[in-house]
Amino acid sequence: MRTNKKLLGVSLAVLTAGIFLTAAFSIQAGEFTQSDLERWDKEFMSVVTKGDKLFHSAIGTNKVSCDQCHPNAANTHPETYPKFQQQLGRVVSLFEMVNWCIQNPLEGEPLLADDPKMVALLSYIHYERRGVPMAPGKH
Amino acid sequence: MKATNRYLKGMLRTGVLAAVWGACVAIAAPVGLPPVPVPENNPMTPEKVKLGDKLFHDTRFSATGEVSCATCHDRAKGFADGLPVSEGINKLKGTRNAPTVINAAYLRTQFWDGREPTLESQSAQPFLNPVEMGLKDHEPILKIVRADREYVDLFKKAFGKGGDQITMVEVEQAIGAFERTLIGGDSPFDRYYFGGEKDAMSPAAIRGLNVFVNQGRCVSCHVIEQTQALFSDNRFHMIGVSANQMPRDLDELTAAVEDVKQKGTDIAVLTNPKTSSLGRYAVTRDLTDIGAFKTPTLRNVELTAPYMHDGSHKTLEEVVQFYNNGGRMNESDPLPELLSGGIRPLNLTEEQQADLVEFLKALTSPQFVQK
Amino acid sequence: MDINRRAFLKTAGAGLIASAFPLSLVKLAFGADSPVQDFTFGYISDAHIQQIKGDKFVRNWDMGLIRAVREANLLTPRPDFFMFGGDLAQLGKKEELDHGLEIMSRLRGKVHYVTGEHDYYLDLGEYWKSKISPLYYSFDHKGVHFVVLSSILTYDNWIHKNWGDPMQRMLAMARLDNPDGSPFLVGEEQLTWLKKDLEKIAKAVPIVVFSHSPIQKIFKPWNFWTDDADAVQALLRPFEKVTVIYGHVHQIQYNQIGNISFHAVMATAWPWPYPESYTQLPNCLPKLTVPMNRADPFFERDATGWQFIDLSSGKTAMRYQLPDNTNRAVAYNTRTGRPEDLNYQEYQQRIPPQIHY
Repeated sequence: MRTNKKLLGVSLAVLTAGIFLTAAFSIQAGEFTQSDLERWDKEFMSVVTKGDKLFHSAIGTNKVSCDQCHPNAANTHPETYPKFQQQLGRVVSLFEMVNWCIQNPLEGEPLLADDPKMVALLSYIHYERRGVPMAPGKH
Repeated sequence: MKATNRYLKGMLRTGVLAAVWGACVAIAAPVGLPPVPVPENNPMTPEKVKLGDKLFHDTRFSATGEVSCATCHDRAKGFADGLPVSEGINKLKGTRNAPTVINAAYLRTQFWDGREPTLESQSAQPFLNPVEMGLKDHEPILKIVRADREYVDLFKKAFGKGGDQITMVEVEQAIGAFERTLIGGDSPFDRYYFGGEKDAMSPAAIRGLNVFVNQGRCVSCHVIEQTQALFSDNRFHMIGVSANQMPRDLDELTAAVEDVKQKGTDIAVLTNPKTSSLGRYAVTRDLTDIGAFKTPTLRNVELTAPYMHDGSHKTLEEVVQFYNNGGRMNESDPLPELLSGGIRPLNLTEEQQADLVEFLKALTSPQFVQK
Repeated sequence: MDINRRAFLKTAGAGLIASAFPLSLVKLAFGADSPVQDFTFGYISDAHIQQIKGDKFVRNWDMGLIRAVREANLLTPRPDFFMFGGDLAQLGKKEELDHGLEIMSRLRGKVHYVTGEHDYYLDLGEYWKSKISPLYYSFDHKGVHFVVLSSILTYDNWIHKNWGDPMQRMLAMARLDNPDGSPFLVGEEQLTWLKKDLEKIAKAVPIVVFSHSPIQKIFKPWNFWTDDADAVQALLRPFEKVTVIYGHVHQIQYNQIGNISFHAVMATAWPWPYPESYTQLPNCLPKLTVPMNRADPFFERDATGWQFIDLSSGKTAMRYQLPDNTNRAVAYNTRTGRPEDLNYQEYQQRIPPQIHY
């Protein structure tokens, strides 16, 4: 009789500990916390910072950098993509136009869409344009 | 009044002509092109087209009785003439290469320098040029069409007009109507790009298309869009062709402008190579247009050698080499100082250049190929 | 002012085959013994000649300056002189300045030079002073008093920071959107000099000030800004006709503050976006300005250019020569007392490339 009670007590303790641990580490799917958000934002900003650096450096072959024509990534209009891009004759996403700029005024080699450098550049470009409403297709 | 004039001039510059032209009646469109624009004051009828065809081929409208529109715009030669520069009466040489009439109906201006706005107004000019038909005025034409029995009948059927009611307006409108039937899409490129036929173009041509829209940078002026491709932006660019023939200094420029003022643009540019080299500048007197010529459509380009405004490039390979070197035949040539900002060295490989040529050959409309 | 005369200042069209505007000259009543004459001068600015390696320079910027010089040589009648508005080099290197000067040497006419920050911050103007001209000076021409300022100086403690290597200082100033930059100044030395220089000038004499920075406060994050603009404007206030012509911004701008008309010149190298296109910060772009056409980057010369200025009775008409584009003209309107665009000033006259930013 006493062993059963002991067993029950231990089980209860383990169960309670388990519940506390679960609550503490949010194993429940979808329940991200404020601290998750802050951490993930830092993760994003670390890539924005990399993009900022790339944007302000000579990534082609002629020493020209993106910011020479686009200070603070101004006049890149990320909110308008995808759009019909006159310089390419077809509807494209932003990364294709970034590649057009790398190849043409910067005389460099294009990047793959998921190249970490391209992701960083896009992150910076979008970040500097935060708050502007979407306007896909706008010339 | 002055403010209105300025406003109108501004509108003209931005293309109010396009707005008027867009309000026109359309006829059937080939694959790859929109419906042909037809001006409201010159609707298409079979009678007009038949009349225009006859006028287009009539050599009597020249000083020697030997030159018609078709002399330089020959159906057997892609509606061009296969010569570097055209030859008129007595084989007199002009200064410019005959543009094809095929798809000219889609262009917003006519002639290499856009000096005439419509097919109609363009058609009346060569009759009066001393190196083309060489007439002093249009009277000989009107004399014939008012008296010749066939013409009397055709004009009656086309316009319901006879005798003195027949003027150059009717002549121009008939020629314009005929030219509007000379349209061509349905090329291997069109079937591939808009028609979804994966094997309509060869693998080399498909690679060439990729060069055309990417590294070759062609698409910005030789326009391809999502649902249609005119292959021209209707604008004027100085790409460096025969740049060494342009006026070298202010004195030569002044002399060339004097030539235009004395003889009128049409005659001056076709009789004097230096004046011809002014390009669009002869029309607008704007320094941005010096040496600039209209982007021609590339459709049917395989049929219309030699190339460029003075026919100075014999083959498509030469043309591609010229562009690849950034507006000059050889890398060692100096870059023309007044070059359009769109022209720059392309660094294409030999293979890419060959593929690009294959692509250009895929722009031919089957109905214009001579068997 | 006779109300029958045309209010707009028009410029000579008869001999000027280079112009797209057949405007005719309106001579404002100025008195028979006035020494002020009407004349034209050319303005080329912001060439940013940039070295890649050895004798290889960025082709794009080279072509911009080459084209401007070539076109300027085709202008007729010949302008009285030319100005170069600053930023001849990109990083102030001897090679860049020499290459730029070589291209400029092909220009037919006398040239006066204005310094830009890109010319200055590598060696604090030493090579410029030895090869080109003093950094600030004045001269008179046909009754007009011209002042050239070196308005791209800045605070001493920034200049003399521990940069390690002068190129670091140059790069810091070269980066337009540098959050650790330093605002442009005319500075005490020049303010003192300017005050003395203007003391000898009668109030009715037209003054034209050439400056690289705007002598206004437009957008500090990109140094479209002169920190002591108010002090400079105060020195110019007593004069009847004052124009300030500035570079640096690589775009069309114009403004009227009190008695001073302001005109920005275009760069031959590349265009800059208008400050409103950086939405994170507010800006003070003059409301008067009708923007230049938004550039198509395919055409390297789009939204670049040079200009010539007609000075008539001391009032300015600036005619922008824009390759691959439609030219613009901004002239002083004596009726409204401010510079206005000859075609597009009213909002409903503007075209999509001017509002579709």
